[in-house]
Amino acid sequence: MNVVFHLLIMAGIYIILAVSLNLILGYAGLFSVGHGAFYGIGAYTGAILATKLLFPFWGEILAGACVAGLFGFLIGFPTLRLRGDYLALATFGFAVIIYSIFNNWYDLTRGPLGIRGIPKVVLFSIPFTSLWSYTILVGFFVLITIFCIRRLTRSAFGKVLEAIREDDMAALAIGKNIAKFKVLAFVIGALFAGIAGVLYAHYVTFIDPSTFLIQESFLIFSMVIFGGMGSIGGSILGAAILVMLPEALRYLGLPSAIAANMRQMIYGALIVFIINWRPEGLIGKTKL
Amino acid sequence: MIPFLPSPRIDLTDFDRGVFLFTQLIINSIIAGAIYTLLALGFTIIYGTLNFFNMAHGIAYTLGAYFSYLFRIKFGFDLPLAFSLSTLLTALAMIGVDRIAYFNLRIRKAPSWALVVSSIGVAIFLESFISLIFGSDTRSLRTGQAAPGYTVFGAIITPVQIWMLIISALLMIVLTIYLKMTIMGKALRATSNDPEMSSIVGINTESIYKSTFALGSALAAIAGSLVALETDVFPTMGHSALLKSIVASIIGGIGNIPGAVLGSFFLGFAENFGIWKLSASWKDGIALILLIFFILLRPALFGKESQK
Repeated sequence: MNVVFHLLIMAGIYIILAVSLNLILGYAGLFSVGHGAFYGIGAYTGAILATKLLFPFWGEILAGACVAGLFGFLIGFPTLRLRGDYLALATFGFAVIIYSIFNNWYDLTRGPLGIRGIPKVVLFSIPFTSLWSYTILVGFFVLITIFCIRRLTRSAFGKVLEAIREDDMAALAIGKNIAKFKVLAFVIGALFAGIAGVLYAHYVTFIDPSTFLIQESFLIFSMVIFGGMGSIGGSILGAAILVMLPEALRYLGLPSAIAANMRQMIYGALIVFIINWRPEGLIGKTKL
Repeated sequence: MIPFLPSPRIDLTDFDRGVFLFTQLIINSIIAGAIYTLLALGFTIIYGTLNFFNMAHGIAYTLGAYFSYLFRIKFGFDLPLAFSLSTLLTALAMIGVDRIAYFNLRIRKAPSWALVVSSIGVAIFLESFISLIFGSDTRSLRTGQAAPGYTVFGAIITPVQIWMLIISALLMIVLTIYLKMTIMGKALRATSNDPEMSSIVGINTESIYKSTFALGSALAAIAGSLVALETDVFPTMGHSALLKSIVASIIGGIGNIPGAVLGSFFLGFAENFGIWKLSASWKDGIALILLIFFILLRPALFGKESQK
């Protein structure tokens, strides 16, 4: 039963990540491959505030979201005027820089040793120590994320984003400040990734830089591509399936080292397959 | 003339020799630059012809190193034979990858980001595949005792490093001759200039794409094999190689061949002189800051093509 709750929690965290990246990638058409960096920033913000400054949980969620959002602004503001694949390079570089900071800024992040002893969540004097209660808490944030992003994409704001994705010159011509919309979409996506990071840090109670390697960004990215860009349902499905998949491998009885590599190989093969033969993903709309 | 004197190998930690540090840094920068040149040349001709950032470029480097390891250590072949076989096999493997992962997209005239995504998939797949076959622990191409280095103005250079310089220089010359003087090279340049026009005048652009991809990957494979002689072989070694090829070619103006050479040496010097003051673990950080800086502020030093 614990395995089920564990999977639900991880699926929930990745759903938040995939749905928030979908706002950036699928709706705004901004080719960001560094989403894992915001996830990491959220996780480290939460962990540092909880262990050093003994922040309450809701404060950490706010702080994690704000710090990730701030970094979203800092990276988004200069880079979002870049053409598609240059933006990919810039966000790729950014994700590796953030990893390098986690790994090297010893005083703040304790480098490769990671941060231990992140306390379990207590919210309004209700402890969320058991797995099932934490599942409910994560589920609550998943619902908030889906609700917010759904509302956003169906609002005038979301329509402008789609217009920018389809034809930015036309959007500009009808008087939309495309730079502002792009940066906003980027910041909002980063914000939710930060929340996912805080949730992750409190779930595992120990974080180290190796969790936030560039592969993590690629994983979130493949979830969105797999589910289909521009479809929130697709991202939910994509995240859930790609989180559950390794468990299926475990039941095949493979040793863990082989299973880990098999999992990565399946992710890689899926990306190539989807982009070549089904670019709209499982249930997406965007075609090439 | 540079006096070459054999000297006992001194550990890298014994670097506090004042004046000689400077010479050593220059030599290290040049060696790094030579290796980055091989990587960046491959990356930049692939970009120039196929028009996408090949995120699987690091994998050609890793694959080259592992093939060399396989032939040299497992099968006990001679070093030149092992290197040639490894380069050839990597090029062939990458033609296969091209058929599976990029050919369809090219035919459909998909946007370049789709090719980038596909190459990310290729990189993830092949890296895990290598790690599945060879295991994730580090291997080495070195056999026996490391040869003693030579002293040049107080700085140390190992025989392997001298080979690195010679081979890179030779390859640069061969590549220049190939591109400027042979029919194939001219066809390659024509295709990268204007693919439609080239196919109208009878150039088989599809075969140019394949051969460019093979050529670029072969250069990366040679770089991987050379580095493997000096350091270790491990599945994720391609990450920093990819990073260096991207940065060096962006600095020099992507798609520009002389630019890639200059960009590589610039990067080599910036990194080695950068870690003089910073700790060595920030080496990749320097490359990344250069990357962001050049992408944002000054897209190309030498290139005609800049970002749109």
